[in-house]
Amino acid sequence: MKFVYVFLTGILLLGTQAEAQKVFGTRNGKISFISPTDEDVKATNNEVASRLADNGQITFSALIKGFKFRYAEMQEHFNDQYLESNKFPRADFKGNIVNLKDVNFTKDGTYKVTVKGDLTMHGVTKNLTANGTIEIKGGKPVASCKFVILMKDFNVDASSITEKVNVEVNCAFQ
Amino acid sequence: MQKWKKMLAIIGIIGVLAAGAVVLYVYLKPHRDVAKEKAVQLTAQALFDAFKTNETEANAKYLDKAIELNGEVADITKNQEGRTVVNFKTNDPLFVINCTFKEDPGVLQPGQTITFKGICTGYIPDMNIVINEGVLVK
Repeated sequence: MKFVYVFLTGILLLGTQAEAQKVFGTRNGKISFISPTDEDVKATNNEVASRLADNGQITFSALIKGFKFRYAEMQEHFNDQYLESNKFPRADFKGNIVNLKDVNFTKDGTYKVTVKGDLTMHGVTKNLTANGTIEIKGGKPVASCKFVILMKDFNVDASSITEKVNVEVNCAFQ
Repeated sequence: MQKWKKMLAIIGIIGVLAAGAVVLYVYLKPHRDVAKEKAVQLTAQALFDAFKTNETEANAKYLDKAIELNGEVADITKNQEGRTVVNFKTNDPLFVINCTFKEDPGVLQPGQTITFKGICTGYIPDMNIVINEGVLVK
């Protein structure tokens, strides 16, 4: 009898825990990048779809054709020659917050986080670790982080333009 | 000797002009203006169905194309740079067509049926289809 009781309590607890999991999302997050050697080589995407769950799971999806450059000619080269966006239209990241215990999703504040996961772009999947912050404001998170992408890691031959880009992510979740 | 110098000067000038033309071409080439383009006309639901059924085929058909989309507005928001964004309803309550305006479209209401013209940048499974650089047709 005692066993049944413990068992039932366990199920109830699991049930409430599953229900308590919260997922935040946005369809209009922002990712921008800039070349450290040529400041004209920069672009922004304002249609980043992202989900962040309070169990630490985080995903980002950005459409390559959604990156807007100041110069139309560069945007065209970026899509046709370098990222081949007709063949590989999307970049996806799937990862986890490594130090989840440092983040309190129910308390306003700014928390330093390390995110680890896989970035798939231009047909190549690469493991990535990035440092950033999660700011909770009025119960809603804003995630931001910066990292560097080496073009050759993703089979992008852009050596005549830039070897790497500095990427900045900023997503305000609902 | 005089003639030779003159020739060299002319070649030099042509070279400088050509280089200048290339630079101008790269920096001054205008961005697409979707308002002036002929667009594929379809409903928000039809666009969603096309991508859900066959993403590769739909990409070939709609990616980077001017699209004139007709549908019911689910909600109106702003992106992180202050541009107006309209989400169009589909028959999947969790899936919308996410459309960003190039210019302020004025007052819009959820539930309203509108026609939006923009450039389709692609499909994000379980989330949305993105169309941007758009204008309000009616």
